[in-house]
Amino acid sequence: MTETITRVFWSWNPVAVSGLALWIAGILWMMPGGVVTAAKTRIPGLLFTVAGLVLVLSSFGGAIGELSEELMFWVFAIAALLCGTLMITSRNPVYAALWFALATLSTCGLFMLQSAPFLAAATVIVYAGAVIVTFLFVIMLAQQSGAAGYDQTAGGTLPATLASFLLLGAVFYLVNTTAPEVRRVAPLADSLRLTTSAENAVAAGEAAGGGASLQAVPVEEILAQEQRDSEQPAVQPNLLSRATESHPVGSMKGLGRSLFGDYLFAVELAGTILLIACIGAIAVAPRREEGAI
Amino acid sequence: MFSDMTNPLPELLTTLITIAVVVGAIPGVCNYLILLERKLSAWMQDRIGPNRVGPKGLLQPLADGIKLLLKEEVIPGHVDRILFLLAPGISVFTALLAFAVVPFGPVGEPGVPSFLRFIIAPGIDIGLVFIFSIGSLAVYGVVLGGWASNNKYSALGALRASAQVVSYEIPLGMSVLGIALISGTMNLEQIMMQQIEGGILGWNIWFQPVAAVMFFTASLAEANRLPFDLAECEQELIGGWHTEYSALKWALFFLGEYTHMITISLLTAILFLGGWHFPGIAEAGGEASIISWVIKLGVLLTKALAFICIMIALRWTIPRFRFDQLMELAWRVMIPLSLANLLMVMICKHFEFSLWWLLPGSAGLFAAWGSISASLRAAERASRPGYVKQQQGAATAAAGSAH
Repeated sequence: MTETITRVFWSWNPVAVSGLALWIAGILWMMPGGVVTAAKTRIPGLLFTVAGLVLVLSSFGGAIGELSEELMFWVFAIAALLCGTLMITSRNPVYAALWFALATLSTCGLFMLQSAPFLAAATVIVYAGAVIVTFLFVIMLAQQSGAAGYDQTAGGTLPATLASFLLLGAVFYLVNTTAPEVRRVAPLADSLRLTTSAENAVAAGEAAGGGASLQAVPVEEILAQEQRDSEQPAVQPNLLSRATESHPVGSMKGLGRSLFGDYLFAVELAGTILLIACIGAIAVAPRREEGAI
Repeated sequence: MFSDMTNPLPELLTTLITIAVVVGAIPGVCNYLILLERKLSAWMQDRIGPNRVGPKGLLQPLADGIKLLLKEEVIPGHVDRILFLLAPGISVFTALLAFAVVPFGPVGEPGVPSFLRFIIAPGIDIGLVFIFSIGSLAVYGVVLGGWASNNKYSALGALRASAQVVSYEIPLGMSVLGIALISGTMNLEQIMMQQIEGGILGWNIWFQPVAAVMFFTASLAEANRLPFDLAECEQELIGGWHTEYSALKWALFFLGEYTHMITISLLTAILFLGGWHFPGIAEAGGEASIISWVIKLGVLLTKALAFICIMIALRWTIPRFRFDQLMELAWRVMIPLSLANLLMVMICKHFEFSLWWLLPGSAGLFAAWGSISASLRAAERASRPGYVKQQQGAATAAAGSAH
């Protein structure tokens, strides 16, 4: 066990490790009631965090694609991680909830870059709804002036930070060893269809040709790659979820076919579990007298 | 149009022009909608309404705008300054963002010049889902404004608004799932074109009348319009979440609300009433001329205006709900009803019945739901502790009046 952990950090390049260290320092600086309790201002912590994030992300390399796409990846990735950090270090519960919402939105931007617009929209619906419920609790329970002492401190800052970064390091290590490069499955232009409206009206083939300037990888190449993948006995994708010219991977139809083709059992199982939870919540909830609100 | 996509500049230019037109036009349109609301309200209450500024009061919006611009900006000392200033901006931003995928004219029709597009972002595969996801962000403006005001009335208004929006998002989304199943797409342009190609009998209202009513109702609740405006209910909460706001920040909240109204009415026209199609006036496959697309644009905007007028008329027709009635309507009536409607569409599609079975089906569903709700209500009232005494009182009163 110890050997594995040491190998994680020794096999890593110094840029990423120093970036992680800076990030840890930033979090500890900004955390209310953290290690640096004497700090009056949070700005050095913020600077540490940003510098650490830049270092960590640069050791990964950006998205493969055009300059604009790469820029968007950088903006969304840094924003997501920074907002996450600010969420856990925020002294005010309302601001924490807002940072959480912003982190979610940035992640949705990353989903968009990965040709998953439906996933992005669904994440906004689900998580924004969840944050609104958080707001409900904040409005009901927390005072606006934030005078309550328990809002101002965090317990066990150092062990918690170190433990979570250990987990993060393990994830990085796994990603680094098992999947050295993440392959784009569908070009951006196909699912977002950044073409003019007239081209939408005409045949799909022409439209696909029209979006050529934004395509990172041609569809044929991906299909050929999938064909090569499927020839190996271990990977046998469902025929339903095979991407075609008219139903690319990122589109709603492609997603639906994949969810209810490849992953039908998992989807049904998740639905059943949610139904059980729903019934349980109704059963557990206290019953009021008739006529009382 | 721009088949040569190696040069993205014309595309970018078209998008920028469309955005500029929309962002420029919406505040003006909202101003005149406020005048329309005041005039219609006056007419419904047998008053004259604003008639002093300009001919027939037509310059009143200008005067209102100048007043709101020049009024003193009051920021109370006890508010959370950042969020207090941010909240009206979020309100307007989300309302305008949702407009990005709504077609507001004949999109891609022959005869329309290439620089006029009538939609900011064409061909979005997830159109409907995008609108709902932005709609779920719209409540942030209200909630943040209410909380940042640091005032118990504002906080209560925000609390009500968030509970209401979280509840009504569900029937709003589920009521249009039937349309998505029938059309096989969530792209708004395609949903519109499919109805137009079917003629007047292809309009979705024939197949989904109950869904149309539910969609319209739930969107009223999402927009905080009467009868769902408990978040700013005057006699209980002063102004609700905007109690502490004044001048332009207050106006921005209402700009957001009116933009939301425009979006809802356009969506209702596009999803259920065939978009720019109208028999005899604007049909599919006409000749390419300026007159034809102007007429189509006019038809769609007239339909949207009609829905806005219905919203304004509703304001003075239906009294505001009580909070428990509001929640009951969402959870006990609209969510089960939209599920049943969805189930009906699924059965129809799966067994390949004619879509026309959905019309009597919807009517039957509506009647059945109404009778079930009425009998449940009667049973609930009968089980109330004071019911027997009330009945006796009514009987004595009736006997007394008979003498």
